[in-house]
Amino acid sequence: MMQFTCPHCGPRDQAEFIYERTVDAVVSLDAAPEEAMKSLFTRNNPRGVDEEIWRHTYGCRAWMVIARNRVTNEISATRAVGPEALP
Amino acid sequence: MTDVTITMLPAAPLHALEIWSNPASVATRFKETAGFALPAMGRSDGNDALLLIRYEPTVWLVEGDMSALPGILADDGALTAIGGSVVRVQLSGKGWRTLLMEGGIFDAENPNFASGCSAATIIDHVNVRLHVVDDDTCHAYVPLSYSEAMIHFWKTAALNLTL
Amino acid sequence: MINFSFDGKTYQAHKGDTLAAALLRNGIGLVGRSFKYHRPRGIMTAGVEEPNALVTIGDGGRSEPNTRATDVFVYEGLVAKSQNRWPNLSFDIGSVFGLAAPALSAGFYYKTFFGSAKRWMFYEYFIRKAAGLGNAPTKTDPDLFSQRAAFCDVLVVGAGPAGLSAALEAAEAGKRVILVEQDNILGASLIRDGQDRDGAWVESTQARIRAAGGRILTRTTASGYWEHDLVTLTQRIAEPGQTPSHGVAQRLWHVRAGQVILATGSIERPMAFAHNDRPGVMLSQAVRTYVRRFGVVPGKRVVIATNNDDAYKTAYALKAAGAEVVAVLDARPAPAGADSGLPVYNNAVPLSTNGARHCLKSVTARVNGLTQSWDADLIAVSGGFTPVVHLHMQAGGTLDWNDAAQAFVPAASRQNVTTIGGAANPEPVFNVVPVSKPKKSFIDFQNDVTLSDVDLAWAEGYRSVEHLKRYTTLGMATDQGKLSNMAALGRLAEKQGVAIPEAGLTTFRPPYTPVTMGLLAGAGAKDAGAHVRRLALYDVHAAKNPIWQPLGYWFRPRAYPVGSETLAQAAMREAKAVRSNVGMTDVSTLAKFEVSGPDAAAFLEIICATTVGKLAVGRGRYTFMLREDGFVFDDGTVWRLDENRYLLTSSTGGADRMATHISYVRQYLCPHLRVSAINVQEHYAGIAVAGPQAKATLSALIGEEPPRHMSTVPAMIAGVPVIILAASYSGERAFEIYVEASHVGPVWAECEAEVSKQGGALYGLEAMEFLRIEKGHLVVGGEVDGRMTPHDLALDKMLNKAGGYVGASGLSRPALSEAGRRQLVGLEAIEGNIPEGAMLITGEGASPHGHVSAAAFRILDGGSIALGQLTDGFARHGEELIATSPTRGQMARVRVVAPHFYDTAGERYRD
Repeated sequence: MMQFTCPHCGPRDQAEFIYERTVDAVVSLDAAPEEAMKSLFTRNNPRGVDEEIWRHTYGCRAWMVIARNRVTNEISATRAVGPEALP
Repeated sequence: MTDVTITMLPAAPLHALEIWSNPASVATRFKETAGFALPAMGRSDGNDALLLIRYEPTVWLVEGDMSALPGILADDGALTAIGGSVVRVQLSGKGWRTLLMEGGIFDAENPNFASGCSAATIIDHVNVRLHVVDDDTCHAYVPLSYSEAMIHFWKTAALNLTL
Repeated sequence: MINFSFDGKTYQAHKGDTLAAALLRNGIGLVGRSFKYHRPRGIMTAGVEEPNALVTIGDGGRSEPNTRATDVFVYEGLVAKSQNRWPNLSFDIGSVFGLAAPALSAGFYYKTFFGSAKRWMFYEYFIRKAAGLGNAPTKTDPDLFSQRAAFCDVLVVGAGPAGLSAALEAAEAGKRVILVEQDNILGASLIRDGQDRDGAWVESTQARIRAAGGRILTRTTASGYWEHDLVTLTQRIAEPGQTPSHGVAQRLWHVRAGQVILATGSIERPMAFAHNDRPGVMLSQAVRTYVRRFGVVPGKRVVIATNNDDAYKTAYALKAAGAEVVAVLDARPAPAGADSGLPVYNNAVPLSTNGARHCLKSVTARVNGLTQSWDADLIAVSGGFTPVVHLHMQAGGTLDWNDAAQAFVPAASRQNVTTIGGAANPEPVFNVVPVSKPKKSFIDFQNDVTLSDVDLAWAEGYRSVEHLKRYTTLGMATDQGKLSNMAALGRLAEKQGVAIPEAGLTTFRPPYTPVTMGLLAGAGAKDAGAHVRRLALYDVHAAKNPIWQPLGYWFRPRAYPVGSETLAQAAMREAKAVRSNVGMTDVSTLAKFEVSGPDAAAFLEIICATTVGKLAVGRGRYTFMLREDGFVFDDGTVWRLDENRYLLTSSTGGADRMATHISYVRQYLCPHLRVSAINVQEHYAGIAVAGPQAKATLSALIGEEPPRHMSTVPAMIAGVPVIILAASYSGERAFEIYVEASHVGPVWAECEAEVSKQGGALYGLEAMEFLRIEKGHLVVGGEVDGRMTPHDLALDKMLNKAGGYVGASGLSRPALSEAGRRQLVGLEAIEGNIPEGAMLITGEGASPHGHVSAAAFRILDGGSIALGQLTDGFARHGEELIATSPTRGQMARVRVVAPHFYDTAGERYRD
């Protein structure tokens, strides 16, 4: 069980989070069909650091991008995603 | 022996206040009208008539008299009634911090989690929102459908806290 | 004195005795039979590494098999039973006839599994009877298990001298400290070897740690080290088999630590020599522990075998306790230090032992190349020390080889963990290569693996240590190779002609010591792990004694049988009430989202694949949502409650998934929209009223003309504000009444009174299913199964022509709308009743062309009908097929029809 540092809540247990997908699998709303399918089905899947989208579903419900090393689980960066918010 | 008492509080008309644009100016308008600031993440603030608890970056839980809020929000946000979905459970007595560690994953024993603090977390697989009222009291906002199970869980756990 | 029983006979123990100490105190040497060969075994250690003395403790649901006698403290009334023997421990058929021995050499399981299945079937019966540990309890465990989280700056594992000092230093520096010790008292090696720090030092250190705010947990084992310095601890609140004082027997701790200090010490190694497994062969430090801690002297005439200095302390302890040390066999070539006053033999290693079932009689050794024997009833063995590196390795650490100690010691780790004390600096030893006959020289006592088994594995080509483990079962079961791994590795390295570090190591996996399954389940152990989600109206339904239906975590009434009605009879009566009069049901669990703001309609047109923007205030419509790949995801209704406020409903089963999807689209994809989408699933309880008399019922309830189909109005029922949505799932004129869940009680009561006055009925999920199948309405998870496009479900005409919704680009792929796909059809039986889940085939032996997703009967007219998915189904109306379910042994002849069996013109919705 990992521990993530939520940009809004601080360090929290992984059990509060739900994994969504990697950043390279995001399909923008105006993506052309080929582009959308490439995002959905052809991903980088590096052995090492990847940018993952997680949601603090059972905490503040906010989304974030976590740079996680998929071999060591080291978290090198976390950034908030979402509408403009007060501190 | 138990040093925490678990009580279900009566249903209250709770609202979710969400700001979707111009948060800084809403905050300014809010402070001018309400007399206190919109609480920061993980905090609550209020007065005798109105309490706001912040659990999300753009959403505040509102308890009490919200009549002035639509005017403050104007076109920058909205209020939505959510009171039916929540059962408020009062955990009173010195043992509330220890009780919250049972089946939990959030550091409720941390002394920094003090009066006026809030946190949303999971306890025994249930999504629960916590609000520290004072040293001896914490309120838990529990989903209605899980409230019976959670109260039972807490009452059982309370019997074994000191072991 | 404390009374306990072993194999039915009562004995007495001293306060603080482990069961092992108490058995030795009572002169009991034979405690168990070995796993494969049923060889008599005694107590070898004084700790959790014990491989032999495994017993079943307690009775009934509380009984705990495979408990190490060295790891349970005797309490009044403790009941212990030996294992793996028949008819009794002393006279065991399996061993007397040597039944198991020839059959179960190394690789037996491997060879059997790779052989013919018949061979395994033949052996299985005997293996199950002959080889094994204790029996799992068959009754429910009456105890509770707790799980608790804790956070600290420093977690110290092990309360020996190093651990106590580290915990004290951290606590007095103001850090949050947790110190755990698996024993029931602190001190570890200090309990055995006072050294320069005595019991008083332990007491005062303990007091100082507590005074500084540190938390000390005894009878607690750090059993798992996980990611990001999360350590799980298993705490025994009651001893195995003991009735806990407050219901909770054990607690599982999840400790998130800033830093972990491992002061886990080391485990003494046995030596490999023939018959080194019989009662009376013990580890040297264990002997010392029994003598000094428990005041039990396990032998009168003792031989000591060692390759290090530590075992001399055992000799002195035994002498001081009045035992005779007849020989100290020191493998080292020259005397170590000054004259010890002991009969020391250098260059001496044990070769074999002789004895009876219960005891040891003599020890034979090779001394300077010559064979020599001593009469003895105990041999205390020290083959060196293995640092306890399990947690370090679970944390993803690496090891260094310490040649002087012939041991692996912790090196680097990617987590914040350090190892201190004996585990980091084991004592130097002299490397001894076994010289005795390998056949009876045991290295893994628990799995009955001898040196010759390692040799056999090698001879048969198993080179890697991981293969060796699987081939011989070495290092498996309750002790996980704590005593055996290094001996096996030594032998393997010898065979390979390499140094031990080059031979490799098996993986260290949690848990360090066995964990009771109930502890992992925690509080959920009593009700299958998850809480039940209760409807707001749970008590109202429960009073009617319905048949309940689990639906995800929810429990919903499936039917309300009257008298002796079966489920099918009750559901049909309820469905008929809806078709001919009026019925009401609880629809509270539907997913609901309130969407407000100037961009609410724009947002909903991204979520929904249908148009929303054109809805007038007070109107609603059916809608559905797509996944990004263009397949149908969920469906529901959308209502415009106010200028900038909408209510979106979707399926119960997909509620959490939809909440996540809505949040993802709003926050990740569209952060700039001025919209608030709030999950109000539980805020609103819902009551559906349906049937030809629904309108009259509603009029009576709200005192005004009810809204027309697909319209919504606010109203009051029983003095409570409600929202009325005129929507129909059943196919009849129907209404959904939404009310704040905390106030639903009086609203339901008033509705029920009015429905009852009309002569109507309550209906449950089963009747709802009958109604919607007859009407041809979809259910998410049934017809909408993740493989169907809007075209396949004939929903394509409703698609928002402007696009822009999630899934629009995915859906634009030509293959998703071409002819010949699996498509939604209706099926009516020509002969037989259509089985749910049946395959649709054209004739015997043909490949399936589709399947039946839901089956029912026409409610008023009778006759078996169904919905299904059929290849090119739209073009096949009128065709006859066979619906067959081989697993149910049911079959029907069916005709393909349109998926609407009732009121195809949709006239009954309207007034």
